[in-house]
Amino acid sequence: MRKRWAALILVVTVFLTTLSFIGCTKAAAPKVIRIAVAGPMQFIQGQHHWLGAQMAAEEINKAGGVQVGNKKYQIELVQVDTNELLSVDDAASAVEKAITVNKVNAIVGTIRSEAAMAIQEVAMDHKTIMMVCGASLPQMAEKVGKDYNRYKYWFRVTPINATYLVKASMLLLNHVGAVVRKELGIQKPKVAAVIEKAVAGDPLAAAAAKLIPTFGMEFVGVWRPSPTATDLTAELTAIRKAGAQIIYTYFSATAGVPYAKQWGELQIPAASVGINVEAQAKGFMEATGGKGNYEYTLNTYAPVQITPKTIPFYEEFTKRAGQFPTYNAGTYDAIYIYKEAVERAKSLDPDAVVPELEKTNFLSAAGKIVFDKNHDVTWGPGYVTALGTQWQDGKLVAVWPNGWEGITYPGTVDYKLPPWVVAQWKKK
Amino acid sequence: MSLRRLYRRFTGEVLVLPGRTLVLAVCLALLVLPLFHRHPYTLRVLTLTFIFAIFAASWDLLSGFVGQLSLGHAIFFGVAAYTSALLNLRAGLPPLVTIPAGALVAVLMGLIVGIPCLRLKGQYLSLATMAFPIILTGLVFLFSGVTGGELGVSGLARLGPTRLSEYYIALVLVLGLGFIMWKITDSKVGLIFHAIREDEITARASGINTPLYKLLAFCLSGFFAGVSGGLYSHFMRVAGPSTLGVLTSFQPVIWTIFGGVASIYGAIVGTFVLYPLMEFLRVAPEFRTLIFAVLIVLVLRFMPEGLTPWFIDRVESECPRCKEHNAITRRTCRVCGTALGRPPASRAGLFQPGKGGRVAG
Repeated sequence: MRKRWAALILVVTVFLTTLSFIGCTKAAAPKVIRIAVAGPMQFIQGQHHWLGAQMAAEEINKAGGVQVGNKKYQIELVQVDTNELLSVDDAASAVEKAITVNKVNAIVGTIRSEAAMAIQEVAMDHKTIMMVCGASLPQMAEKVGKDYNRYKYWFRVTPINATYLVKASMLLLNHVGAVVRKELGIQKPKVAAVIEKAVAGDPLAAAAAKLIPTFGMEFVGVWRPSPTATDLTAELTAIRKAGAQIIYTYFSATAGVPYAKQWGELQIPAASVGINVEAQAKGFMEATGGKGNYEYTLNTYAPVQITPKTIPFYEEFTKRAGQFPTYNAGTYDAIYIYKEAVERAKSLDPDAVVPELEKTNFLSAAGKIVFDKNHDVTWGPGYVTALGTQWQDGKLVAVWPNGWEGITYPGTVDYKLPPWVVAQWKKK
Repeated sequence: MSLRRLYRRFTGEVLVLPGRTLVLAVCLALLVLPLFHRHPYTLRVLTLTFIFAIFAASWDLLSGFVGQLSLGHAIFFGVAAYTSALLNLRAGLPPLVTIPAGALVAVLMGLIVGIPCLRLKGQYLSLATMAFPIILTGLVFLFSGVTGGELGVSGLARLGPTRLSEYYIALVLVLGLGFIMWKITDSKVGLIFHAIREDEITARASGINTPLYKLLAFCLSGFFAGVSGGLYSHFMRVAGPSTLGVLTSFQPVIWTIFGGVASIYGAIVGTFVLYPLMEFLRVAPEFRTLIFAVLIVLVLRFMPEGLTPWFIDRVESECPRCKEHNAITRRTCRVCGTALGRPPASRAGLFQPGKGGRVAG
């Protein structure tokens, strides 16, 4: 009986001791600002989060660090693998660990909107500054307006939110429409929409049907393939039959590759424009077997001079990562923005830093970043406009803005219609 | 009942068995833990463990005991998460109301799932159960104006005013609901469930209304899973399509089989071991899932019936005459006094049957 009690007490003690170690914190080293880079590190989005942040931290530390009052602080990055693409509670726990165990001062990153909402709650609970570099749904920003005192620590640096993404992609569509009118002489181009069958695509499909006629174009129909489709010949042949001169696309997942490949192989006589995330990647030409030329997609970065920072950032990132930067690499800018706000506030206290973040007027690699009243990045001429990039001769070049609102970034070239489109329609 | 009798009951039924005593010790440890260690991260991990343990136990009730192998258990979790979330957000009802309401909707879902599944068996039943969360996910996306679509619903009220209170709410519920579930399986209804799993035709021939009891199992399981879903949404303050996801359906299966299927406490033990383990493995982020999977495979290789039965076999033995469990150290049965030999050949395969003695190792 006594032996059993002893054994029990031993077990309980071991159990409690083990538990107490879970929450152990290392003694916080002085003069270090810890920033958590939160993202799905096994996937490209998280990897770009990390690489962009790393670049910024290295540059800042090499230049002496962050000046907080009269002390210099070095930036220490904490990599947080949120695994958010697979599990939301995993992501929230990872961030809570970073905040309460690693004692980070700020969080940059996130990509999946549902997880970003859960992470937002955790960060706001602990009054930790959170700078989103990936999730684009506008609802997160609206919370700042609705409950400022709780959500004021939240900011979005990139991408421009989903409403703006739609607006920008429509501008690209109009850009192509203008070229079609001028070069092919077709005053009312026919537009077919190919929008992947995902939740984000539903409002876009509705918007396309409604808005395209108002652009002086004829809407011939919408096709909704699966986001992971591997064969889109059915959609493409139907579009050819419908006589469309322009295809307006929305692809956020892998279907973007077979779409472009088959579009090029079948030489569908319609210019493709819109959002195709796969077409933003360096490996796109290889993935489409060289057939992806002339694909035209909305993008965040390109080797043009949006600001003096853009080209150096683009080249350095491409060199380090072996890939073009996606919008997730905006953690680079997020960390600089945070640094400047901390230096202006002369303090690391979030309540002092937030008002300074609100005053941000920062020339980033993506454009001039100014936050609106909901702490969301502003879109518009003079701010972050996004870019239209097209594959020409196997190279990704920027073709938009090209005179839009008087803006043309140095390095921008003219948009080119696919030659088979010109051949098909110009005789008319 | 007098205090003396209660004490005698306690010493006579709980303290005599090492397995039960350990459970009691762990429960007490968890109850007093916050007095020593109140780190929010630890409390978060434990609270989620408790919530998911209720979920796993509800799966065990349906699939382990009644043999209706549900591979779409997320339907109950998710429908309750969304119901409690929407009631809280749109109607302003507090969690105390929304969580039971969500659980009741999950009971209704139990009927909706159970009725078509009455005529199905084995793998066909499992496949059918997989369909329901997919259907509901589709509806969630279709009515995204109401459900928030891909983003889900957020800004929900907290489960409790502080992390500590949330911890205790979840702990009390897992202990209480786990106990209730265990008592259900220990009752006449539990016996009928067991009979249906073993041989449904014979059960029917004995006059048991098996469709009724199967539906009852779906509803009960749905209720408990629904409570965990409501707790989850209020703890996370977000309810999204991930609550209806495949991972959510599969996790209780893994935890329960690891811990020991068809025993309720096995599901709870499995969750208590695996969920914090997965969290602990964060120290090796690239290998986390791999290590986790390897551990599970190893454990199931050497403890094929799960962790809990293996452990109980080590510390307790069954009396050959009255079938009551005794501590392994006893020489005579505590109930009928029969002499207890060395432990009999165990199902766990590490023992050699017929040798009558314990093989070292």
